[in-house]
This record gives sequence, structure tokens and C-alpha cells, in this order.
Amino acid sequence: MTPEEFAERIKARFEDVEVKITENKLPHPRKRVWIEVDRERFKELVRFLKEVDPAAQFSIIIAEDRGDRLTAKYHWEMFWEQGESLSVIVGTSCPKDDPVLPTITDIFPSSLPYEREVQEFLGIKYEGIPDPRRLFLPDDFPEGIYPLRLDETGIKPEMVKNAGHPYRRESR
Amino acid sequence: MNGKIEYWVKIPIGPIHPALEEPEKFIITLDGERIINVDVKLGYNLRGLEWIAIRRNWIQVLYLAERICGICSFSHNHTYARAVEEMAGIEVPERAEYIRVIIGELERIHSHLLNLGVVAHTIGYDTVLHLSWLARERVMDILEDIGGNRVNYAGNMIGGVRRDIKDRHKRAILDMIQYYRQEVMPKVEEIFLYDPTVEARLRDSGVIPKRIAIEYSAQGPTARGSGIKKDVRYNEKLGVYPDLGVKPVTPKEFTGVVKGDVFDRMVVRVGEIWNSMEIIERALDQMPEGKIKAFPKDNLILVKLKKAEGEGIGRYEAPRGELIHYVRAEKGKDGPAKWKMREPTFPNLFAVARALVGEQLADVPVAIASIDPCLSCTDRVAVIDANTGKRRILTEVDLLKESIKKTKEINPNIKARPERIGIGRCML
Repeated sequence: MTPEEFAERIKARFEDVEVKITENKLPHPRKRVWIEVDRERFKELVRFLKEVDPAAQFSIIIAEDRGDRLTAKYHWEMFWEQGESLSVIVGTSCPKDDPVLPTITDIFPSSLPYEREVQEFLGIKYEGIPDPRRLFLPDDFPEGIYPLRLDETGIKPEMVKNAGHPYRRESR
Repeated sequence: MNGKIEYWVKIPIGPIHPALEEPEKFIITLDGERIINVDVKLGYNLRGLEWIAIRRNWIQVLYLAERICGICSFSHNHTYARAVEEMAGIEVPERAEYIRVIIGELERIHSHLLNLGVVAHTIGYDTVLHLSWLARERVMDILEDIGGNRVNYAGNMIGGVRRDIKDRHKRAILDMIQYYRQEVMPKVEEIFLYDPTVEARLRDSGVIPKRIAIEYSAQGPTARGSGIKKDVRYNEKLGVYPDLGVKPVTPKEFTGVVKGDVFDRMVVRVGEIWNSMEIIERALDQMPEGKIKAFPKDNLILVKLKKAEGEGIGRYEAPRGELIHYVRAEKGKDGPAKWKMREPTFPNLFAVARALVGEQLADVPVAIASIDPCLSCTDRVAVIDANTGKRRILTEVDLLKESIKKTKEINPNIKARPERIGIGRCML
């Protein structure tokens, strides 16, 4: 399926969605499809991707702090079984004072570690995530501190507990 | 007593454990000898690279990208350079693309030989470890000759490569390929394809079926060992690779069956070394003359990129699997506004954790080694704190002060100031 055909299919199903095709100038021209969708219709679109190609490979979540909004871009590699694959990027966003996005782990289970990473580093809450534990940050890292937010001021000294040896307890 | 007694044992492997030389923790729940659950905890050696990158300029990030991983250092800055080129619409000269192919494939050969040795080591074949690493020296010598370093050879620049491949390099590479064809590869094949002990040890351990591999987005030799014909060089029509006959290697072409176990992943690696040597030979043959950089001087790149705006994605098949870098540029900013990378080990770790359920504890080291985990590129921030009598947290500035104090004791003339350079606020 060519990128143009794919964009047509997306536009036929979702009329208000922004679809953009970019091409780079490498020796073999290569096109990518960039889709921008609001968070209410995001999950529907992801489900549609799975319908179009059941073997689509989910690769990455690029989450970012853009001032008053937190954005997340998801990359899929589609139609790899037919040789030349199609690279699709779906972007969505949520306001910073209501940082909630729907989880897609029920459609693409491999997105779970990425969602856990975004959840701890940028504070986007995933609705219905099956395993909300921390992945990278330590378990005693203070709540409500998100290291990759641009307005984050860091950990205050009184928040630090159990510093030093990991097995040292307060009571001893 | 009506009913059997059940008890589970939890065994943590890592962060530092003899079976796994890198800081990563696998919490394995056992029922007797059988694994019933595997949990992965990351973050013991996070370096905060994304935060450091947004305080640097475009060319400085190139060197930061290279230091993500020592083994696939060329892959990382190659992917980053591709992402920037796509974002700014920079055209790369054709000779530079061929040089990228040659260095990339040389790196694949040494990385795969390293992993074949590590897997042999985890099953107790230490002689194979020493001999395969000895064979690897030959590639490392050529990489040193081309780039000046054994690892981190800084081959890439945005819009091309920094160093040309000269006639003496070409002769050395062809000699090396001949040596590998005649001396090394027959022995490697004898051990990994036909040795009965190795086959008994590696067959049917750590099985990742094709369905699970797709579900968990396994990458690279891990995916191809499960029969997924996916290779970014081939699927993405990357650079000049389509002209060089690149193809996804699956174990079916060698053994006729695809089981998705550790043995199959090793077969894929052996096959890819053969394929890489063919690609290098063709690339050396077809390489055109011409310039190797789109910009004659490095500061012109920064001038051009300061005006650029937009976002770009670079993808490349590193020895371990698909590597993907994303950059976003803002007008008037010297460096990237956002840089994000994904390493192949990250999804593969979760795929292998799933595959270990139901296996024996003794298969854990070899199953983990078989995905060739590069844990240093999966972790990204290091937290520094210390406890000296009373509780105290050392910041980067404090550490720098201490360091400068020590230097001043040796040389009192030094005029350094302890300044935060890159490590972000999340560093305490």
C-alpha cells in the first residue's frame, strides 16, 4: 500500500484528522505518514491501524512537554510483510492540567513499557494501564516529580528518604 | 493434609550478578526449577541523555549519541545523523552512503562475533569465547585504521562521513574477508550449527514463537530467529542498501526449520556475518568517486540547522535490531528541541522475559545473552547521592568542586569554575 493510498483510507474513515506525507532526499526517496488526532478519537484510530494490518509493529512513544500541552507521538511500521514497509507516526496531546491519555496496551501489548516510561518521566496518566509501576526511576522516588517536564524544579531535600544504602531502614 | 504444599521462591538476578555483567534486575519467581514469572526492573544506570541533549548544539549531540553504546557506536550516530538530515532536507553524497554501509557492516561483523563468544561463554565454552574474540580483533584493527579508535570511531557527520576509505583500507578489508571466509567462518559454523552439545544446550530453550515476537515487537536477530522477515535496511530502503542485495536472514535458509529458540538466533547471527561480507564486497566494488560531505566545513551545518524547523525520524538496523531516533528543531535554536531514541534491547528484554516463563533457571543466562542485551543503551539517567555521617546529597556542582580541588592540589595555577554543564535538574 502506498502512503497516498493509506492517507486516503485514513481520511475516508476519519474526516477531521490531519494527515501529512513527508519525503526525504536520500538516494532512495522515502515517505512517512504523519497523523495528528485529538485524544478522544486516538484509540479508535489505533484500532483502525490494527484492522488494516494485524501484524503492524509498534516501535516508540515520543512524549514531550510543549508548554501548556503534553504531546505524545507513536510510531508504527506497517506492511513489513510485503517488503517495503510504511512508517506511520500518530500524534496526540493532552492539556497539562488534565494529563490523561487512553492506554493502547489492549491493542498493542508491546506499548506497555513505553507507557510506563512516559508515565514516570512526563506524568501523563494512562487510563486503564494494566501495570502502572515504575520502570526506570527508583521505587522511593517522590510522587509528583516528573524529571523530563521543562518546568520541573527538582527534588527538595526534605523529600529525600532512605538515601545511601538501599537496605538501611529509618527505624534502625 | 488435603492438597499439595505450594511455595514459590523469588530469585533476583542483577543488578550485579555473575551471570549478567551489566546493571539490570530480573526478578524471577520459581516453582521448583520452573520459572513462573519474570519481572524486569531498569534504571540502575540511567544517564539522562535526552536532558543533556537539549542543552547542546547539533554537532555535539552527534558525539553524545555515539557514547550511548560502545559496541554499536557507529549505528547510533548514523541514525541520529539520518534523523537530522531528514528534518533539514540535507542531501548526502553517494560516496558517503557507501562508506556508511561499509563501516556499518564491519561493525555488524564484530558485534555478532562478540555475541557468539558471549553465548558460548554462558554455556561454558570458554575456548570459543577466546577464539571468537581473537577473530574479532581483525575487524577492530581495520576500524581503528579507518577511524582512529577501536570503539567510538566518530565516522559520521551530519550530511556525510568524516573519513574516507582509501585504497589501503580497501585492500585490508578484502584480505580480512578472505581470512574470515577460509579460517573463521567454517569453524564458527562447525561449533554453532553442527556441534551436538551446543545444539542440545541451545535447542528449545528461551523459545519466542512468531506470534509472541510480533506481539512484543521483538527486533533484529531476535525477531528473525522467530521467522519474522523484518530488517530495516530492507524494509525502509535505507540509503544505498537496496542496490547491494540486502535481505532479512532467517534460520530457514540454513537449517530448514524455524523454532524461535536460542539456537535459531545464533544461526541468524552466523548467516548475517556471511551476508555482511557479501554486502561489503559489493559496496567496495560499486563505490563511486566524489566528495564525502555535503558541507565542506562543520560550522556551515550549524548555520543551516539554526534556520531549520520541523521534525525527522532516522531508522537503522543496528546489529541488535531496529534503532529509531527522533529530532525536533525550533527556529533560532542551536541544538535539538527534542531528541528521543529507542534501542532494540528495550523491547527484546520484555520479549525474552515473556519467553523465559516455563523454562528452567539454568537457561536464564543463555536466553538473556542470546538477545545480545546492550543494557547501557537501554538505561538513561544516573542518580548520585551519598551518605557521610549526616544525610547529604552531592550535586554535580559539589562533585565538580571536589574534583577541581584535587586538581588544584596538584597544579595550583588552574582556573576552573564548577559549573553545571549538561546534567539536568532530575539529577538531584
